[in-house]
Amino acid sequence: MLYLMMVPVVAYFILFAYYPLVKGLQVSFQDYRLMGNRPYIGFHNFETVLHDPMFWRSFWNTLWIGAGIMICGFLAPLILALSLNEVLQNWYKKTAQMILYIPHLLSWVVVGGIWIFLLSPDTGLVNLLLVKLTGHSPIHFLSQESWARSIMIGSAVWKDMGYNCILFLAGIVGINPSLYEAARMDGATRWQQVRFVTVPQLMNTMKVVILLNTMGIFRIFDQVFVMRNPAIARKVDVLMMYTYQKGIMEIRIGVAAAASFFVVLFTLLITMAVRKLTRFDEV
Amino acid sequence: MKVKFTALLSAIFAVTILLSACSNSSKNNNSDASPSPAAPSPTGTEAGSSAEPSAQPEKLRILAANVGGKTPEETALFQQELSKRTGFEVTLEKPASDYDQKQLTALSSGEKYDLMEISDLAKFRNFISQGVVTDLTDFVTSSSMLSDPAVIPSAEWDLLKTEDGKIYGVFSKFQGATMPIVRQDWMDKLGLQQPKTLDELYKVLKAFKEKDPDENGKADTYGLSTAGLYEIQGIMSAAGLKARYVMKDGKRTIPYATDAAIPMYEWFAKLVKEGIMDPNFVTNDTAKMRNLFLTDRVGMVTYWDAWVGMFNNLKKQEDPNTKFVAKGIESIPGPDGTILMRRGDPDFWFIPANAEHPEAAKKFLEFWHSQEGIILGSLGIEGEDYTVSNGTYTLTENGKAHNLDHGVPFWYNTKVEPPFGKLPGVQEAQDLATKYATLELALPGWPDAEKILQNYALKAMSGQMPAKDAVAAMQKELKAANLID
Repeated sequence: MLYLMMVPVVAYFILFAYYPLVKGLQVSFQDYRLMGNRPYIGFHNFETVLHDPMFWRSFWNTLWIGAGIMICGFLAPLILALSLNEVLQNWYKKTAQMILYIPHLLSWVVVGGIWIFLLSPDTGLVNLLLVKLTGHSPIHFLSQESWARSIMIGSAVWKDMGYNCILFLAGIVGINPSLYEAARMDGATRWQQVRFVTVPQLMNTMKVVILLNTMGIFRIFDQVFVMRNPAIARKVDVLMMYTYQKGIMEIRIGVAAAASFFVVLFTLLITMAVRKLTRFDEV
Repeated sequence: MKVKFTALLSAIFAVTILLSACSNSSKNNNSDASPSPAAPSPTGTEAGSSAEPSAQPEKLRILAANVGGKTPEETALFQQELSKRTGFEVTLEKPASDYDQKQLTALSSGEKYDLMEISDLAKFRNFISQGVVTDLTDFVTSSSMLSDPAVIPSAEWDLLKTEDGKIYGVFSKFQGATMPIVRQDWMDKLGLQQPKTLDELYKVLKAFKEKDPDENGKADTYGLSTAGLYEIQGIMSAAGLKARYVMKDGKRTIPYATDAAIPMYEWFAKLVKEGIMDPNFVTNDTAKMRNLFLTDRVGMVTYWDAWVGMFNNLKKQEDPNTKFVAKGIESIPGPDGTILMRRGDPDFWFIPANAEHPEAAKKFLEFWHSQEGIILGSLGIEGEDYTVSNGTYTLTENGKAHNLDHGVPFWYNTKVEPPFGKLPGVQEAQDLATKYATLELALPGWPDAEKILQNYALKAMSGQMPAKDAVAAMQKELKAANLID
């Protein structure tokens, strides 16, 4: 009976994950035409991808932006969760959590549009404040390469900060209160309680958040698709964007499938490395 | 327990294999569906005539990007209307978004449509090379309807012909050209004349910026807005530069990436520096650009001829006493006096190679260019978008909101008169398009070349990089990537 309960889940993964994966692998070895013969061409598509400078540029962009999101997307919600945990007024804490969580519920089409508007050089709030407070001339953040990656990282962290913050807060709630009581009896200050009780007890939640962030590195797409423009494309086009361009825009399905398998491979490698580094399996 | 587990796993694998088999079967069907020349239509259906009714109406499945209702509900009504008028059992699918992805997925997964809409010639050529499209040359040439120059001018077919002279598509509407569109009411108010040189254009745009044409007492207007490099042909014309590729002595050149483009990029950079050009032009999409124009924020945009009428009509509907007047103007003439305008890729239908009802699709194509088809594609559905009484057409509220556009705002067939005339300003704009606009040459490497071009051109125009350096960098990269000769 227990095994029967697994059927929907297993069927779901076979249908929507493993079967497309196997088909994708098959396509990556074919000279794929939309109709007609689709001859097998060995590793030719993989060679095409590996010899394409655009692929490597996208790879490095992905690493830059992904690493930024991983690090900032880990630290910012952690600091926020620890700060919110120190707030005594429950209503304030809940309101703050709700406000922080809202961007996570919105799609990138909405969030990207909001940021494009906020960063506009003439009517954007960021530039209005910049001009008013510092006298600096407006900056066109989204057309300058020097700002492009920072904007992508910042907006991604802003969007998902609430979600990760709630994960940390859930971890904090689960900490045994007697540990704090013991610390207080030993004369620990608030800061020392955070440092020697909360943070060590949150270690498992931190590992989960790091691993989730890591697995998302090579899947960044929606955000870049919405917020990019030709002036900054070279600094922000990521691997999924490369795959999209090859597959959908240029209709080179075999090449796109090969590129997407590199994405799978890189995700696997980086996830394994992070698991090893964080000693994920050691509780 | 082990037995149960083994049985469960076996069942799962059986389902998987079954699914794979289904998929292979459908793939094999596709493989068989190699493109083959379409049989000529025995007799061209006459204008306005419907297909022969039969006991069991033939089916016709259509994937459309523009043709149909403005809402899913109206598209359902449109489908019924198509069935009624053509005599086929029509299924019309009009995705709300991501049409390209839907089309590609449908084609690669072997879904069978009888007609598909497309408006990207480069992509269409790719479809042809991938065996997706049915050859319609014989059908078009033997169709008394489609080969009639009054229905579709003979020269227009050149837009759809491949290098070997074959025709794989049939126009779904008349596609015009892009051009500079100005606020004529602002021009009149400021006493400005239509610019004929780059200097005159600069003065006009500067006046739009500085002389408070909207009379709100604030310096909140811009002279010019674009959506990136889309579509600056009307201005690049001043240096005689044609967009995309131009073959010169058998060699591939990209005029926008030649030294002649340097002063043009410098000119744009000057506009940006002086605040005459909308600083958001790099991040603008066309909708934002249009909104700026409609909300009195900018005096000139570069856009489609059809939008001249739409701009005027939208403002008129908002306020019947509006002074707003949009007008399409000629591009700035080049050094030799030549005016360059961009003819847009045509919107057209094609019959996929795996279509189950190609003959029905061909009859539909003839219907679509008949009076009945054109009225349906422009005005919409009788009773829903318009009513007819004693031969007089009256638009309903829905019809007014739908702007005489259900996929065919304009058409080729000169035998069909627009029941409400054309929207204000459109005819003049279309006359310019017909006189000056030419199609661009998009060679296979264009998507990659465009990325290089846009990257440096936008940097030069926004003043982030000297134009000379930007053009030199473009040329270097284009040559290194073997995208120019």
